[in-house]
Amino acid sequence: MKIGNSIMALMVALPFVVSAPNVMAATAEGVVLDSVHIDSGDTPSLQRGAALFVNYCLSCHGAAYMRYERLAYDLDIPMETLAEDFMFTTDKPGDLMKTAMTEDDAKEWFGVAPPDLTLVSRVRNNEWLYTYLRAFYLDENSPNGWNNSLFENVAMPHVLYELQGAQTLVGHVETDEGAAVETSAHQNIVGDTIFEIQKVGKNSPEEFDMAMRDLVNFLSYLAEPAQLQRRSIGIWVLAWLAVLFVVSFLLKKEYWRDIH
Amino acid sequence: MSNFMEWVDRRFPATKVWNEHLAEYWTPKNFNFWYYFGSLAMLVLVIQIVTGIFLTMHYKPDASLAFASVEYIMRDVPWGWLMRYLHSTGASAFFVIVYLHMFRGLIYGSSREPRELVWLIGCVIFVTLMAEAFMGYLLPWGNMSYWGAQVIISLFDVIPYLGPILTEWIRGDFVVSDATLNRFFAFHVIALPLVLCALVFLHIVALHKVGSNNPDGIEIKDNKDENGKPLDGIAFHPYYTVKDLVGVVVFFMVYLGVVFFWPDGSGVLLEKDNFAPANSLQTPPDIVPLWYFTPFYSILRASTSDFLLILTVITGVAAVATFFIDTKRSNKISAFICYALLAVGLSIFDAKFWGVVMMGSAIVVLFLLPWLDKSPVKSIRYRSMPFKIAVGIFVIAFISLGYLGMHPVSELSTIQAQLCTILYFSFFALMPFYTAWGKTKPVPTRLT
Amino acid sequence: MSSNEDSTNENRSRRRFITGLTSAAWAVGAGFSVTPFVLSMNPSARAKNAGAPVEFDFSKLQLGQMVKVEWRGQPVVVLRRTPEMMSGLSDVTNLLADPDSVGSVQPTYALNAARADTDRNDVLVMLSVCTHLGCSPVEKLAVGPDPEMGEDSKGGFFCPCHGSKFDLAGRVYKNVPANKNMDIPPYQFLNENVILIGDDSARVS
Repeated sequence: MKIGNSIMALMVALPFVVSAPNVMAATAEGVVLDSVHIDSGDTPSLQRGAALFVNYCLSCHGAAYMRYERLAYDLDIPMETLAEDFMFTTDKPGDLMKTAMTEDDAKEWFGVAPPDLTLVSRVRNNEWLYTYLRAFYLDENSPNGWNNSLFENVAMPHVLYELQGAQTLVGHVETDEGAAVETSAHQNIVGDTIFEIQKVGKNSPEEFDMAMRDLVNFLSYLAEPAQLQRRSIGIWVLAWLAVLFVVSFLLKKEYWRDIH
Repeated sequence: MSNFMEWVDRRFPATKVWNEHLAEYWTPKNFNFWYYFGSLAMLVLVIQIVTGIFLTMHYKPDASLAFASVEYIMRDVPWGWLMRYLHSTGASAFFVIVYLHMFRGLIYGSSREPRELVWLIGCVIFVTLMAEAFMGYLLPWGNMSYWGAQVIISLFDVIPYLGPILTEWIRGDFVVSDATLNRFFAFHVIALPLVLCALVFLHIVALHKVGSNNPDGIEIKDNKDENGKPLDGIAFHPYYTVKDLVGVVVFFMVYLGVVFFWPDGSGVLLEKDNFAPANSLQTPPDIVPLWYFTPFYSILRASTSDFLLILTVITGVAAVATFFIDTKRSNKISAFICYALLAVGLSIFDAKFWGVVMMGSAIVVLFLLPWLDKSPVKSIRYRSMPFKIAVGIFVIAFISLGYLGMHPVSELSTIQAQLCTILYFSFFALMPFYTAWGKTKPVPTRLT
Repeated sequence: MSSNEDSTNENRSRRRFITGLTSAAWAVGAGFSVTPFVLSMNPSARAKNAGAPVEFDFSKLQLGQMVKVEWRGQPVVVLRRTPEMMSGLSDVTNLLADPDSVGSVQPTYALNAARADTDRNDVLVMLSVCTHLGCSPVEKLAVGPDPEMGEDSKGGFFCPCHGSKFDLAGRVYKNVPANKNMDIPPYQFLNENVILIGDDSARVS
């Protein structure tokens, strides 16, 4: 089996050998994203994220594959709270979280219909969302007065303005200087972009980052609610397979005593 | 109980079938790691059929409903997410297993006389499986489903004159549409599964007629005891059933581990762009098929006009080289004509045409394996060094093609893919030469 | 292989034990594996939501009028019965198969001759599904001769599929294919005009 082993070793090693030049190409695109801590087990964070989502996102974006009711079950939200604080567009807890805005209105106001957000965390990645939500800045040249350093000329205005406040674009962190850049108290770095804080919102920059982490955490849950059950069931499944392995292996050894 | 079996056996060959295919199907006693994948492939086929049936209960093959019905399965149907992940992960598991199963056949000479038909039926299974996977991939009606189907169906465009008519006929519309989705659904859930089951049946009938090969590549039927039972053979049941059971558990650990902890494979098993609904006006930035098609997809993309020039030179050299091969004069002439025609064709038709031809040939060439291999021995254990080196290079080329096909093209990656394409085809084209070259080790008469 | 084949009792019983153990472990695994497949055929969240309780404002319903309300995709009759209709109920008792609703499905608060909440027993809330084979009976509200309900009908429901007859409380007549009174769903009054069909959780019992 020496040949077999060396072939296996080659199979394992190969993609890394081939990948080297491609990795370089990928980073050359130069999109710098901030990392975000996603934890589907952090229920309070998911609850806060859900509240932010319903208050700030749901008026324009839908989550049309998700039912309100499921928030109550999965995120430990009492049915009364759900009805009072979450359900603006409907009165049945089992209804889908559709947006209040019609697609025609949306096209008239924004030029494009805001995308449904149920699966946005699976289409984009969480780091992208976390960076995007914090990268809005004042821009006189934009029709709605806002722009975004990650998604240039995005049609969406800065909906979370009252929380974050307003900032203007200063410049970009030079990649070779990295994290060593000095920032003053009035500056804020998102991705590789430096912003000057013009007006403080209800949240401090740290609080706003935490709030956006909660929101992205919620979006990650929203994209796949089954993940809450999936992992905990998976552990039991693997544990039982370990038992099956032991007994099946004993059985095999028992019968193969005839052969050896 | 025995009375009952007698009653049945007089009317139906139950005991006979049981004995012939399990209890007295004599199997070489030295099966190793590589021999798990046959039974595992059957297991995955069953998993796919069962989970597929349950998905069909909730899925809607309608362009306006399909995407939402998949999310309905993921959220509203009790345990629907599990059915879906079992099925989507099962598709990848199927190809992992089938590729390893085919590789086993390659290194132990399992396609060689008298098992050519086992190999050929297996190749047909592989092609059918690719069609089954491709059609199934359209069903979630995500944006990658849509554009993947658009690109692959457009391959038929290269057929002179017939192409445009054919693509319209396959789609049933001028673009991939509801009509396409509906017919792909019909093929995916009933037509191709029936064909697959029939082919698997034939694959096993053919195998059990000739008997299983083994890592030594020798025939256990050459050494029999006085009752006609091969001396190195053991009953498939119970010995290999209990052994395969262990393999099944290990497989389930990996497979269910992915299902429960990594179902999207970070975008490899479930692609990110496929979580957005099909949009006929917006192509995803990087269209890539799922990983199991990427080796062939790379070969398709490798075909550029520069590459054709190189291939023309290579075939030209090959045409001339035929005159230096020690063979009959008539063989030389026919080989020369073939190579010369190929060289002319390469300079007439364009790169798009040859890309499709090369991709098709990469699959067709697998069928020829039993006749390309001229080695006096079957197993890699006793083969000459050139074969071992060739297999190593082939594995590297195949995996590289797969890797390259999963990533966007760059100038460098195109050259890498072209190099690997040449290596891929050389493995088969040169096989008659390098398998006959070099010193083989002596083959034992009994299993080791 | 046969040279050292196990033949002693000890070996044989050990083999039997391990085989049993492995079979049992696999059987348990198979049981758990089958469960999700079986459960996946239960009503989904969408079906449950579509089957959620329905509100109905019956204030616009005149005395003696009837409407059909959809609940869980099935027709639910809401009928405001006149005093004449109510008195007709006791006139037909002898003709009924189960006048006391012993064998039929109804909430306890509707277990009476009118088969309705005693506070508002003129309001009939009934699943309009024939207990024979599931057709929806036609209403025959008028008192008097009727081709299907007979010469001196007190009003009732007639099933066009196989000719089963019911009175105005959904109680089945004798000698017809259906054998049970029609079902009364759970319901409650949200206020004096609005009824909630399919939910009686707020009812003080």
